[in-house]
Amino acid sequence: MRKVKEGTVALGKEKKHIKNLYMYILLLPGMILTGIFCYLPMAGLIMAFQDFDILKGFFDSPWVGLENFAKVLSTRGFVDSITNTVFYSVVMLFGKFPFPIILALLFNEVRSTKFKRITQTISYFPHFLSWTAVCGILYSLFALEGPFNELMGSIVGDGWVNTNILMESDNFLGILFTSSLWKELGWSCIIYLAAIAGVDASLYEAAEIDGANRLQQAWHITIPCIRETMVLLLILGLGGLVNSNFEAMYGLQNAYTQADTETISTIVYRSGIQGGKYSLTTALGLMQGVISFALVALGNRISKKIAGYGLW
Amino acid sequence: MIKRSRSYKIFSACNILILTLLCITMLFPYLNQLAIALNEGTDTAKGGISIWPRKFTLENFVAVLNDPNVLSATLVSVSRTVLTVVFSLIITFSSAYALTRKNLKGHKFITLYYIVTMYIGAGMIPTYILYRHLGLMNSFWVYVIPFGMSVYNMLIMRSFIEGIPASLEESALIDGANEIKVMYKIIIPLSKPVLATVALWVAVGQWNDYTTSLYYVTERKLFTLQYMMMRMIKQGEAIRAMISDALKEGADVSQLQMSTTTSASTQAAMLIVTTVPIICVYPFLQKYFVKGVTLGAVKG
Repeated sequence: MRKVKEGTVALGKEKKHIKNLYMYILLLPGMILTGIFCYLPMAGLIMAFQDFDILKGFFDSPWVGLENFAKVLSTRGFVDSITNTVFYSVVMLFGKFPFPIILALLFNEVRSTKFKRITQTISYFPHFLSWTAVCGILYSLFALEGPFNELMGSIVGDGWVNTNILMESDNFLGILFTSSLWKELGWSCIIYLAAIAGVDASLYEAAEIDGANRLQQAWHITIPCIRETMVLLLILGLGGLVNSNFEAMYGLQNAYTQADTETISTIVYRSGIQGGKYSLTTALGLMQGVISFALVALGNRISKKIAGYGLW
Repeated sequence: MIKRSRSYKIFSACNILILTLLCITMLFPYLNQLAIALNEGTDTAKGGISIWPRKFTLENFVAVLNDPNVLSATLVSVSRTVLTVVFSLIITFSSAYALTRKNLKGHKFITLYYIVTMYIGAGMIPTYILYRHLGLMNSFWVYVIPFGMSVYNMLIMRSFIEGIPASLEESALIDGANEIKVMYKIIIPLSKPVLATVALWVAVGQWNDYTTSLYYVTERKLFTLQYMMMRMIKQGEAIRAMISDALKEGADVSQLQMSTTTSASTQAAMLIVTTVPIICVYPFLQKYFVKGVTLGAVKG
């Protein structure tokens, strides 16, 4: 903790005043940018209660009350996008959750530091690729003449018919899941490895004397010790639950799968920015925002009750 | 040394095998792209390329790098990345430093003002309308100005600065240095690790971002490399879909196919070009990235 005494003898009252002014000047640019790009658009949310016309603007567009919300909830496409978003997000959050923990435990058992360092560095690699690159790779891997079909052909034999699995909507979630797991697995490990490194070594020594083997040590010492980290990461994930990953979704959708795999963010882009239905999509976005915030607040509350600490 | 049991030795061997397989999974798709990019386009269409090119050529890279659109996109990508890193470091660091002063009047309010934006946002459409009004549509500055302030990065920097011993600063103040001098001579040099971390994060985020172009840019001269790549993928996919549809109807598609035979290799070359700057940088700078992740975790 740092404590710079404001009343240090050398500083008179006038000097302190100048010093504070200097701090406010430092804060100003950041506050202005946040005001313009985070708070100002919030005023635009009134569009959700208007029949917004971009030519008329906010002041002359007619007010319609909650009509947009009713329309969103009675339009099949929008409702489907909400269901998809929730379904995908739940699967992604809870499905991906155990993998980095398992990998961190495996890394932790490696004795050779050199091998550990190299494998870890390689496992971070996909994290630095953009979703554009990942999509490019996927389309190429699963192309009709691509490595995937070749591999399946050699396993299954002549009975295998070359297909592009990216063009079937049933595979969408599986591909999204696998590719984002591939992309972030090594990276999400870091935080658990740091937590594991912080576990008191004397615990392991004591367990060793009591005759516990490595598996028992991992189960009875490592995992309980990193439980806080696990809980915290799950709560953080809750907030992102309905903020589906647009970059990945948009990149992976194609003419065949788009209609069945629309999520809130992709439909807001397509019918909002591309289709010009500003009011409807703002209403949908607002609903998403409210649910998302409610989930964070809920997670925070649960965490405070169980673990005794939260985000705020 | 602790004695290891036999079953543990077996486990260790399996563990090394699993991790090796994992590394292969992580690397194979990219190496496959590299091989395709170095292979003759017409030959690639026959399939069967794994991680070694069959008919080696550099013509795909030559074609990509000679494309004037790719050159202009590279220029846009590089300049937006550099400018945003500098711009956002200055603004974010200033706020972070000022907010380490807990006794500053309004400190609590300003902190709240920042933190609220991490949990509440206006969403895509109001932001889009705002950008239109601000004249950011089809403007280069849409890549820079909105990214100036990142609250998350600010909090990371703040907790780092808070870790700098206050005694250093106090003694400088007693020696007669003023606040500005203290910041330049003491705080900034000592904050180099966190500045490097945030700079790298911003740089990777900027380089990899394609949605800004997708939402706000329609002019070709302002396209970034990532966006060009995304368009290329989407178009290639659409053409391939057309071909497979036409094939089902028994149409003659040789002409359509001719126009796309090179696209797989060209696309791979493009993919390599767009990712190479980051691939070259990350193994050497990963300790900074990793440090940032753990810094964020401590703050929680």
